[in-house]
Amino acid sequence: MTVIGNIALFLAFPSAIYSAFAYIYGTKKKHAALVESARHALLAVTGLVSVAAVALLYALVTHDFQLEYVSSYTNLDLSLSYRLAAFWAGNAGSLMFWALLLGIFAAVFVLQKRRVGKELTPYAASVIMLTEAFFLLILLFVSPPFHKLPFVPADGRGLNPMLENPGMFFHPPLLLAGYVGFTIPFAVAIAALVTRRLSDEWITMVRRWTLLTWIFLTIGNLLGAWWAYVELGWGGYWAWDPVENASFMPWLVATAFLHSIMMQRRRGILRVWNIVLIVLTFNLAILGTFLTRSGVLSSVHAFAESPILGMLFLVFIGISLFAGLGLLYLRMEDLKSEAEIESLVSRESTFLINNLLLVGAAFTIFLGTFFPVISEAVRGVKVTVGPPFFNQVNAPIFLAIILLAGICTLIGWRQASTRNLVRNFLGPFIAALGLGVALFIFGVREWYALIVFTVCGFVIATILYEWFRGTRARNRIRNENYLKAFFNLIRTNRPRYGGYIVHLAVILIAVGIAGSSIYNVEKEVDILPSESFTINDYTLTYENIDYYETESKTVVATTLSVANHGGTLGKLIPEKYFHQNYEQSVTEVAIRSTVLEDLYVILVGWDNTGMTSFKVIVNPLVKWIWLGGILLVFGALVAFWPEKEKQPAAVRKAAGRK
Amino acid sequence: MFLALAYLGYTGFASGATYYYEVGEFLQQVDSVRDINVKVHGNVVPGTVEQGPLGKTLEFEIEDIEGGARLPVFYQGVVPDTFKTGIEIVVEGQLDASGVFQGHTLMPKCPSKYTPG
Repeated sequence: MTVIGNIALFLAFPSAIYSAFAYIYGTKKKHAALVESARHALLAVTGLVSVAAVALLYALVTHDFQLEYVSSYTNLDLSLSYRLAAFWAGNAGSLMFWALLLGIFAAVFVLQKRRVGKELTPYAASVIMLTEAFFLLILLFVSPPFHKLPFVPADGRGLNPMLENPGMFFHPPLLLAGYVGFTIPFAVAIAALVTRRLSDEWITMVRRWTLLTWIFLTIGNLLGAWWAYVELGWGGYWAWDPVENASFMPWLVATAFLHSIMMQRRRGILRVWNIVLIVLTFNLAILGTFLTRSGVLSSVHAFAESPILGMLFLVFIGISLFAGLGLLYLRMEDLKSEAEIESLVSRESTFLINNLLLVGAAFTIFLGTFFPVISEAVRGVKVTVGPPFFNQVNAPIFLAIILLAGICTLIGWRQASTRNLVRNFLGPFIAALGLGVALFIFGVREWYALIVFTVCGFVIATILYEWFRGTRARNRIRNENYLKAFFNLIRTNRPRYGGYIVHLAVILIAVGIAGSSIYNVEKEVDILPSESFTINDYTLTYENIDYYETESKTVVATTLSVANHGGTLGKLIPEKYFHQNYEQSVTEVAIRSTVLEDLYVILVGWDNTGMTSFKVIVNPLVKWIWLGGILLVFGALVAFWPEKEKQPAAVRKAAGRK
Repeated sequence: MFLALAYLGYTGFASGATYYYEVGEFLQQVDSVRDINVKVHGNVVPGTVEQGPLGKTLEFEIEDIEGGARLPVFYQGVVPDTFKTGIEIVVEGQLDASGVFQGHTLMPKCPSKYTPG
């Protein structure tokens, strides 16, 4: 089976190269048969990569330990589902997954029926195939997934127990999909530059691909944070680790891109900016893929793989940056805006400022992440920047972004009348002030907390106000009752109202982050069984410590009962696992999560007198982050959901006349 | 607005920047970097790891990646699951007067394997 896998990869590489060149050559020479053969070659690549993927899965499932990859990441005890998930547990497998996803996306892209953008498709497909060829090159010569050991081990090394968590099934593949997907819009942008078709055509082609990829990346990021929170057990969900930053930067720039293409469609402006943004997004996604597996940056995730791998990635990024920005320069004349931003007080200007802020945030994160490399080059000594830097710089930026998102709803396009703005502004502003005062009365005194919550309240109010106005208008014009009007409003304006839902979700997440960052409380205690301690309003009583064995590990479990002045709340059982196959112990934290706050208990250590050490954390509002995340995905899906293709006007008229 | 961003960046940097050294480098500059918070990168020397009572402290030595220079470390805090003997690690903390590096943060790397998370 591995032979088949190897052959499949081996054949896929030249097919991808052939497809890339045949697409361009065939289109330039108007040789339809050649273009058709390019298309077949692309589909062949998809098929071959799928075969290779199946071969790897087969090897994983059947315990083919002669394959270095299988013996590195699985063992005889590993359950079937984790054996399948081991596909992306290692470098070679995850690159294989990248190639598989790109192959599938490429096939969908060329098979899509489209009215708009037929001329762009061959050039875009060529760029996609060149990217695919790059990954196949790596799979064939640098990180072969089917590499065999000279002997057959009796058992494999097994999967790192920290990865045996449901997150393993979703976080890596979704994150990777969130990287791979940006190849398509990038390829279309290059095609648009090459063919000089730089009006809205490429934007229309690209919008839903970008949105779908953005959804994957968002879920991937949120799942990563969630997984870190429940599994890594340090009480937090984001550490500004280089690999976390690597997947956050493309997200920020992609968000900017999604908004600025709206501006291009609406007003014909920001056309150069849009090209720059998609080139950046794609390259940041490739950079993200690279950072997760290179030793360039000191990170708990990144590991020193062969330096050739790093070099190849950097060369690829260099070439695609050069191509993208170079073509941009050559086509500068064709990209002149159709209009200008007429006034500072306009929706366009809030969009633009927010775009700049998003890219600015990505830029500061980039600088902070690469600072050790830069400082070493400049001063010969490595200087790192940690969470305080990122938090201090980014918090005000993100707050400004949120605030502007709210103001933007209230401002009209082009030149908004300041009088209208003030009128629209007043209601939400008063609501927000009211919230601020109420919070102050209830004991919130930290000025930054008040600012954050007031701003969030303001933006929620603007969105709800907008919804109310829209619903009321529908009710008056179409005589629909309010409930029906509301649903129809969303239904017929999916991109816009989906966007509003996403904004609301972002506010929920922001509130969750603010609450858990500003008001978290930590305590360390050493106690004996039957003793209690308190943290905030909770009283925790240490009941007992228990040792038991399962098939694959020894478990040490400590039971604590939790109560507050309302009575008993339940039990928490933080544990430590000692796996037979794995030297390191795994700490399983115990979390009691409510909408208000999380009670988070870590078992630190114990001795033979029964004295046990715990670390307890109260994290307010963390659940808002995960709930906000779910709402965000829902809103994005609403925005993504295609509206029924409207029939051409002539057909509709004819039908109407009957 | 760019000025505001630059200002934010500058102040953020001032509060978050930390020097990063290999063990050998660090020991060479020991007089100038005593008492400041730094990060030191090295390998955990097998046989030197001792866990303190109740798992709340950890003592070990780190050795320069290229061998040779060694530094004793005393860490206070919860030991991350990824820590193990022989592993590549970055310790953040300060050198104290007696030559022991007082660490408050441990960032172990997993051995040459790509593992997310």
